Amino acid sequence: MLNRNASTNAWLAVLTVVFLGLGAFFLVSAGGRPVPRQVIPLVDPKFLSTAPWRQTYADLVRTNQDLSDYDCYGCHEKNKPPPIRYDLNHKIIIPKEHSDIVMGHGAHDRNNLCYNCHNEQNLLTLQVRDGREVGFDNIPQLCGSCHGPNLRDWEAGAHGRTSGYWDRNLGAMQRLSCANCHNPHAPRIPTREPAPGPHSLHGPVGSPPPVETTP
Amino acid sequence: MPTLTPPPDQTSDAAFSRRSFLRGCAAFGGLTALAASLAPLREMGDYTSTEQFLQKYYKELTPDDMAKVIARIEGEVQKEYGIRPHVRDLKPMDGVEFVYCLNLTRCIGCRKCVHACVAENNQSRNPEIQYIRVLKMPHGSMDVEKGDHTYDAKQVPEKGFFYMPVQCQQCHNPPCVKVCPVNATWQEKDGITVIDYDWCIGCRYCEAACPYWARRFNFTKPEIPKERLNPNMSYLGNRPRKQGVMEKCHFCIQRTRAGRYPACLEVCPVGARKFGNILDPESEVSYILREKRVFIQLKEEMGTSPRFFYYFDK
Repeated sequence: MLNRNASTNAWLAVLTVVFLGLGAFFLVSAGGRPVPRQVIPLVDPKFLSTAPWRQTYADLVRTNQDLSDYDCYGCHEKNKPPPIRYDLNHKIIIPKEHSDIVMGHGAHDRNNLCYNCHNEQNLLTLQVRDGREVGFDNIPQLCGSCHGPNLRDWEAGAHGRTSGYWDRNLGAMQRLSCANCHNPHAPRIPTREPAPGPHSLHGPVGSPPPVETTP
Repeated sequence: MPTLTPPPDQTSDAAFSRRSFLRGCAAFGGLTALAASLAPLREMGDYTSTEQFLQKYYKELTPDDMAKVIARIEGEVQKEYGIRPHVRDLKPMDGVEFVYCLNLTRCIGCRKCVHACVAENNQSRNPEIQYIRVLKMPHGSMDVEKGDHTYDAKQVPEKGFFYMPVQCQQCHNPPCVKVCPVNATWQEKDGITVIDYDWCIGCRYCEAACPYWARRFNFTKPEIPKERLNPNMSYLGNRPRKQGVMEKCHFCIQRTRAGRYPACLEVCPVGARKFGNILDPESEVSYILREKRVFIQLKEEMGTSPRFFYYFDK
């Protein structure tokens, strides 16, 4: 056997282990150690929908849906305009058959007479205040009789939603009617839930450590 | 280890001399360090193909070259996502210059445009890349420093705030184009500033130059679920990007150059977004710029002259 002393052997053994360990460490970590990212859920498809919020009478007719809500003379009597009753604050009393109607048209309840739009002589149509009769499928003219600037903008394509083709030579532009977005009895657009905001890569500051994503 | 065996004529009496041991260790450590430093190359496998590496500059491609490039891209997308896409290279139309108008009176901050854009344009879902940021701004101020795009409200709009979506403004005088060292981004004649993802070197100068934070960088390989991939693609538009390139809003080039409205406009539930050809006096945007109170071009003082206008109704 060799004549080097025991302490040299011990040192060589320790160094061998250390260097082999370092080599193994380099090899294992050669691919890098990516910081785990947070899991970001896919956005709910309801936020991608381009469907209008509401359906108008014209939509119901076109898609052959139930029109019983528009069968006024199923309950009312012909040639007998239904009376309108007010409470002590001059607010309209909504009969329980129409309890789904919210009277919210116009600030300060200034527009709370049904016959401002509905035709009292024929409940199946609407009427402009100058006496013109307008069908349920032609409401922009009725709305525009008060909201002139909005009708002007709508006709120019600047108010309301559009879809389809900006280039009229290549295809048609689709328009929506007033009641596709506005509830005629409460036209203000209601508040709604927003789609999720941006997610940061590793979650908000101070949050628990993120979960590793599956590759 | 054989390298540690000393040569027989060694004067040392040790089977391993200290010198040869250290030499062996150094060689082993050096090799492993070299392997570690080259490890990223293992991930380069599908990073770039030879055809792509040898591809010419976009503006020098002949129609035949472009057909080959499109075939390559369709093959790559099919291999990765299992869906055969329809890739086109749509050119600008004559007599068309695009302008976008956004009605700040109408916007309710619902962020549907953000996600419709992501779905249409095949942005990465994780990490998230979004072209549109909706800023929530206090009433009575146009100071974007007061804007917050991370709002997390139960219901929008919130009282006392208005919402201002910001995306690429498609400037007449785009600073991002000026700084690009390789001309991988340029302004087309219909006003859209485009990026050739195969030419971009990922230096991110354009991201720094843009005053609107409209440009996004792919720090990692984009992650798009197969079922959410939009197969209607365009070379300069929404084809899947690679790691290490810039991307940004291109007015949905794959839709608008085929005559259609952009995705963010179609999804907007309140009709706050208007898009069209400013050279056509009958278009909606011409009407808006003529008749409405067009309030700002964002950061007008930068001299970028955006093609994106914000306006109010009343």
